[in-house]
Amino acid sequence: MGWIGSLYRSSVGKKSIMAASGLLLSLFLLTHLLGNSLSFLGREAFNAYAEKLHSVGDLLYIVEAGLLFLFLIHIITGIILYLENLQARPSRYSVSTSEGGRSWGSRTMPYTGVIIFVFIIVHLLNFHFTDKSVPVADLVRGLLSRPPMAFFYIISLLAVALHLSHGVWSLFQSIGFNHDKYNGVLLKGALAFSILVGTVFILIPVLALVSRSFLL
Amino acid sequence: MILDSKIPDGPLAEKWDRHRFECKLVNPANKRKFDIIVVGAGLAGASASASLAELGYNVKTFCLQDSPRRGHSIAAQGGINAAKNYQNDGDSIFRLFYDTIKGGDFRAREANVYRLAQVSNNIIDQCVAQGVPFAREYGGQLANRSFGGAQVSRTFYARGQTGQQLLLGAYSALMRQVKKGKVEMLSRREMLDVVVIDGQARGIVTRNMLSGVIETHAAHAVVLATGGYGNVYFLSTNAMGSNVTAAWRAYKRGAYFANPCFVQIHPTCIPVHGTYQSKLTLMSESLRNDGRVWVPKNPGDTRPPTEIPENERDYYLENKYPSFGNLVPRDVASRNAKEQCDQGKGVGSTGLAVYLDFSEAISRDGSGVITRKYGNLFHMYEKITAANPMHEPMMIFPAVHYTMGGLWVDYNLMSTIPGLFVLGEANFSDHGANRLGASALMQGLADGYFVIPYTIGNYLATISSSPQDTSHQAFKQVADEAAAKIGQLLAINGKKTVDEIHRELGLLMWDSCGMSRNEAGLQQALARLPAIREEFWQNVAIPGSGQELNQSLERAGRVADFLEFAELMVIDALSRKESCGCHFREESQTEENEAKRDDANHAHVSVWEYTGDGNSPEFHKEPLAFENVQPSQRSYK
Amino acid sequence: MSDIQLTLKIWRQEGPDAPGRFQSYASGPISTDMSFLEMLDVLNERLTGEGAEPVAFDHDCREGICGMCGAVVNGHSHGPEKETTLCQLHMRHFNDGDTLVIEPFRARAFRIEKDLVVDRSGLDKMITAGGFVSVNTGGAPDANAIPIPQKNAEEAMDAAACIGCGACVAACPNASAMLFVAAKVSHLSLLPQGHPERARRALDMVSEMDELGFGNCSNERECEAACPKGISIRNIARLNREFLKAAIFSDED
Ligand SMILES: Cc1cc2nc3c(=O)[nH]c(=O)nc-3n(C[C@H](O)[C@H](O)[C@H](O)COP(=O)(O)OP(=O)(O)OC[C@H]3O[C@@H](n4cnc5c(N)ncnc54)[C@H](O)[C@@H]3O)c2cc1C
Ligand code: HEM
Ligand code: SF4
Ligand code: FES
Repeated sequence: MGWIGSLYRSSVGKKSIMAASGLLLSLFLLTHLLGNSLSFLGREAFNAYAEKLHSVGDLLYIVEAGLLFLFLIHIITGIILYLENLQARPSRYSVSTSEGGRSWGSRTMPYTGVIIFVFIIVHLLNFHFTDKSVPVADLVRGLLSRPPMAFFYIISLLAVALHLSHGVWSLFQSIGFNHDKYNGVLLKGALAFSILVGTVFILIPVLALVSRSFLL
Repeated sequence: MILDSKIPDGPLAEKWDRHRFECKLVNPANKRKFDIIVVGAGLAGASASASLAELGYNVKTFCLQDSPRRGHSIAAQGGINAAKNYQNDGDSIFRLFYDTIKGGDFRAREANVYRLAQVSNNIIDQCVAQGVPFAREYGGQLANRSFGGAQVSRTFYARGQTGQQLLLGAYSALMRQVKKGKVEMLSRREMLDVVVIDGQARGIVTRNMLSGVIETHAAHAVVLATGGYGNVYFLSTNAMGSNVTAAWRAYKRGAYFANPCFVQIHPTCIPVHGTYQSKLTLMSESLRNDGRVWVPKNPGDTRPPTEIPENERDYYLENKYPSFGNLVPRDVASRNAKEQCDQGKGVGSTGLAVYLDFSEAISRDGSGVITRKYGNLFHMYEKITAANPMHEPMMIFPAVHYTMGGLWVDYNLMSTIPGLFVLGEANFSDHGANRLGASALMQGLADGYFVIPYTIGNYLATISSSPQDTSHQAFKQVADEAAAKIGQLLAINGKKTVDEIHRELGLLMWDSCGMSRNEAGLQQALARLPAIREEFWQNVAIPGSGQELNQSLERAGRVADFLEFAELMVIDALSRKESCGCHFREESQTEENEAKRDDANHAHVSVWEYTGDGNSPEFHKEPLAFENVQPSQRSYK
Repeated sequence: MSDIQLTLKIWRQEGPDAPGRFQSYASGPISTDMSFLEMLDVLNERLTGEGAEPVAFDHDCREGICGMCGAVVNGHSHGPEKETTLCQLHMRHFNDGDTLVIEPFRARAFRIEKDLVVDRSGLDKMITAGGFVSVNTGGAPDANAIPIPQKNAEEAMDAAACIGCGACVAACPNASAMLFVAAKVSHLSLLPQGHPERARRALDMVSEMDELGFGNCSNERECEAACPKGISIRNIARLNREFLKAAIFSDED
């Protein structure tokens, strides 16, 4: 198993682990997104989905443990990479500009990452470590119709979208996908994905804020 | 001392084989007892270092740059010749040999040139095996082009970056030996002198260019591969660091210098812009395949080129040389450009340029074809001059490009100091009075990969393999001399910068010992040189100290040597009263103002021996015999 | 041709351990036909005349091929022009009155030697780790024995065009050398001659890169934008592939 250690010690290995965990987390986000879209169909559909989810029992724990593991791996590796990268240039340039390669998404990865991290904790406290007897729809409305919480969600979800706007393209590059044949699709697809994720998720707090009938 | 070129007996084609058989071998187990110093990591130095280390010798390699990957060889664009005959167009080893001898205007040794042609094929094989990405045909075979007026397509190339790719190949082989611990690579080290003990080269003195420390290094043999001295002219196409120091120091320690006045001046370079100009950029010779060279018929015509009507243009090469036209050899094209400018017909802001016009080719073949052929060259030209040759003629002017002269070596590439070998452009061996395009890369790699590995053994087998160190007092003495010279330079504290004096030297050499030379001009230069040298030693300004990175000091040391060396060039040019190859003596021309060679009096290599500062060098002749080719006069009419 | 006047703010540092600082100079009249390095020559000539120490900077070919020159100008490695080395950058791209901030390439792995001169020996060390084909001189088969598809040869040449200048490291927000390593690994993995050692090469070069203290790649694409030879990050993807293949599937460790 020494090879896993050496893989993890290497820069390219760490990046591929970021990519793999990022990919799986993105897939999780996609399923989460599909599930949450049920909220647009009304409270019955949404509550039913939540109950269905909880009824799978142990399987859910396994999935949750897996997710936790992915998050931990992704976060710890991200922090290591960030610190190593800081050390790699001890003295900064006095004029710092972009050569034209970076994007808003790419330059903010560590920061959006931290926002997401804080968000996840708050989000888990809100919905996971909470009284499970309250129907989900009420929980959501109760929390997100309060402007401070809604804004916190909106900002955090913007961060998620920004993170993914670079992350999804980047993960393919990290594991070796880069060819004129599909570069256009990858770049645009990644952008579309982040916009989709951002919009759909953000719609929930927005509706909760402005719509009188949402989830009622 | 009688010059013995050690040419093996026997028929031309068998000489090298026979010699390899006759060379003494160093027992494989003994090789690791021998230390070899290689100075220079251009094509010649890098290929030699790698090959010698592969054989088992312990190699120490030195270069000026921060990395051995940056040697001047990297700038070569056009390509490398080999007699592969992949195109089935009639090439052969003999034809490459013949073309090279003839191109050199019959001033090179038959045996050396034949060996060069023989090993040329192995070079291509070796480079491909290293991963050099030569251009290829659609079907995967290697592509060739015809280059420099050759009648056959024998030039291998990697886009316009052939020198780079060949050097990166040699460099990678070198670094592989560094990894194996067989080569110790010492970058940013400038060799300041050779150490000769009991008549044998035993080591060198270097300056660590970062710390300024003067170091001594001992070995069983020293190989110089330090490149050419074109920068004696200040402006040339050579890299800024190219210098004569290593060769000159060796000369002063007893190595003879051969044909120092043989300098190639390339016709298609971007003209000088202003006094700040630091170097000249070569534009590939291939441009003359489609470009037409012209100047206005009337001297002093300052109209923009597009406003000068056809009948007021002088296509002087086409008019004078109807059969070769714009494709006359480099020296002829260069000389004619100078002649036009001397008559006041030069163009551009300085009047030192001629037009190279693509408009006819563009209207004949269409702009698409011309862009495909020359697009990247046009782009490079535009980057430097902000003018686009698709819309207005290019301006070109000749520039110093390559030095055929160098330290004299025998067939083993050993100089007159036993144990001191000289490879690549630094030696004089294979190009006679003029080098053909794409042959310098070939020679550098031939010397390094395929000649020195055999011939150095022949020497090493004759000496003791006992370990060498720098304890001999000669090392200390030479190091002290080098340090003293640096101290002397730093103590001058004058007013003129190194470049100012270098520029002055360059102009003098360009005017009197450049494209066209005559007795009076050369004599004047000879009289002027001591004054410039004097001015240098009295009035040069070198800020900073010797114990640090000091680029002014580095340049000053090189210019000091150029100032001495220039005198030898002029003396050599004076003594060769014939015109041959790139050496055009105005006194020796035909009625049609073409170069006139004098085989009766000058079929020799001019070899110079140092006899002490202030003394005239002693002249030696190495006669050249032509047994396999018949010397003929060149004619391009 | 015309002249411009510039304010030059140049990083001056006496040695590796000395503290550095910016010093301002008035350029004096600068011809727009000059190259950037010639502009520095002019400044240095003047400084020398004044008895001051000239600015140390590396350079050799001045043709954009040796990779020796390089500095960061107003935040851009090799200056603001695309695909242009500092020696090939001409002053006509600047305007009268501009201020130019000129700094050395900065990275932990590139020690500053003096002023704008940095130690890039790390690049050599990565080549030493595996950027070669293990073939001794002599005994190579005929050059045409193995046909190589033109497309592969061209792609290999695209990667091999790297001049080893280090601008990619200088421009990378993380001071990563991935583009440089990727160029070499790609060049050799695209050619059959490089295949026998491709797994070993990718592993060794990457591990050397990590050891030397270069940063990690974050796919910021700054290297590609700064590279004077237009080396594409497609090569980095190829390096990632080569490395992962080697780490996961090959017998090398
Ligand atoms: C612009 C240009 C284009 C060219 N194009 C072609 C072409 O297409 N085809 C062709 O065949 N030829 C071409 N040539 C010629 C060819 O490039 C050179 O002749 C050849 O590369 C010389 O190689 P070399 O190994 O002898 O020396 P160089 O490559 O000059 O190497 C000299 C080495 O010695 C080192 N050195 C020098 N002095 C010292 C010292 N005192 N102490 C320590 N180290 C020292 C340097 O650091 C360097 O490593 C071209 C030349 C130029 C200028
Ligand atoms: C929903 C949660 C998340 C998803 C879907 C996600 C997804 C991704 C993806 C796809 C990448 C690109 C990987 C690559 O370039 O190979 C990435 C990179 C990154 N992520 Fe996340 N991420 C999430 C949460 C986080 C969190 C919580 C943090 C940190 C606290 C974080 C920090 C980072 C960092 C620093 C990078 C850049 C790594 C680098 O390129 O050097 N991410 N993420
Ligand atoms: S990849 Fe580009 S920027 Fe990096 S060293 Fe090579 S040429 Fe320079
Ligand atoms: S000096 Fe050689 S690349 Fe700029």
